[in-house]
Amino acid sequence: MIQAALWFWLPVSLIPLGVWLSLSAKADGQRNLGRFLAMAGLAGVVLTPWTVPSSPSSEAGHLLGFIVGPAALLVAGVYLISFSGNVPVGRLPKSDRRLGVMAFMIGFVWFVGMHWWNLTPSMDGDVNRYWLVFWPTFLLLLTCLCSGSALSLRVIGDQRTTESNVLWFASGFVFSLIVLAMMVDGSVVNAEAFRYHLWLAGADLLGTAVGLAIAILVFGGVVFLHERSLAEPDSVEPPSKKEFEHVAAIVASNIGGGESE
Amino acid sequence: MLVAFLLPLVSLWAIDLTLGGSINAGADSLPRFANALLTAYTLGSLILFGNLFFYADSRQRPLAPLFGMLAAASIGLLTSFMLLDQTDLLMEDNGSIRAQMLYNAVHMFVSAGAILLAFGLALGLTFATITAQKARKTTFEEE
Repeated sequence: MIQAALWFWLPVSLIPLGVWLSLSAKADGQRNLGRFLAMAGLAGVVLTPWTVPSSPSSEAGHLLGFIVGPAALLVAGVYLISFSGNVPVGRLPKSDRRLGVMAFMIGFVWFVGMHWWNLTPSMDGDVNRYWLVFWPTFLLLLTCLCSGSALSLRVIGDQRTTESNVLWFASGFVFSLIVLAMMVDGSVVNAEAFRYHLWLAGADLLGTAVGLAIAILVFGGVVFLHERSLAEPDSVEPPSKKEFEHVAAIVASNIGGGESE
Repeated sequence: MLVAFLLPLVSLWAIDLTLGGSINAGADSLPRFANALLTAYTLGSLILFGNLFFYADSRQRPLAPLFGMLAAASIGLLTSFMLLDQTDLLMEDNGSIRAQMLYNAVHMFVSAGAILLAFGLALGLTFATITAQKARKTTFEEE
């Protein structure tokens, strides 16, 4: 237990602490310290299969080590594609677009290979149980979000039919991958197991959404109750005639330009 | 838009039913839903509790909302503990209450990772499709 606390939970807690420091600190040194803590925490979590192999939580570190590569490629790819397009600021060279497309495709094929090829995260011959959480959740939410974005672009956007069609295609592609995984066995995860975990992922997403919504409502309620219990702020005297004249003089000195039009 | 969001989910449900349906998933989905709800509520409350420190900075550091949010997070934790202790309703494939609660937290981190990556990619793809189009020229009518 102490081993797990030291080698898994301590690095896990360093990640949000580091992110919080890097985002909220005003001094450069503190921001760098925050980044260092977050990276050290991330490295500590990835190393858990070696530091605490006996802890079941180390499977999460094992999974993180497996997915950090393709996830980084996907994110970097989308970033390069987006910012090499028509953006008013921070535009990247056009050549970065090809690089982005390549990074995105490699990342996606890598993820797909983790299901159908022999890249599946496995420990001692058994598939990592958190992979069965991550993969269906990711695919299910991605197809739903792309579908929602596609319709949002069409309904809210002005002449965004082409963009909407691209997102419908993306949603349809991910949807086809899910259907394929539901019918065709992967290298380690068979179709029946995938279908079972897909529904658990659905329950997970719904539970997470409801739980977070309740937490936000409670937060709003706590702040509302506190604000309501505060006494009325002291009223100030209305401005005097002299103060009005002073304000009128300032306003008058800043209004003009009628002659030049 | 909600319908568009849920459309793939409903279609997958229909496909799964035509394939024979995942028999055990229905019964096992309930504990998963409840565990996800309680864990998301507790962890979400703790994150918002941290957020209250920034709120307190602009309000002469009142303690009441901090205690209120801490109590709300504690209620989530206690509810999880009591439901796991009293009934087998929320127990999954874990041997003890402590193991189940730790599993819930780690499970939530993994789910959160998948959710964040999916959100990031969906937003990024939307942005990428918009910026991929030629810049539009806005013409103003002469007054």
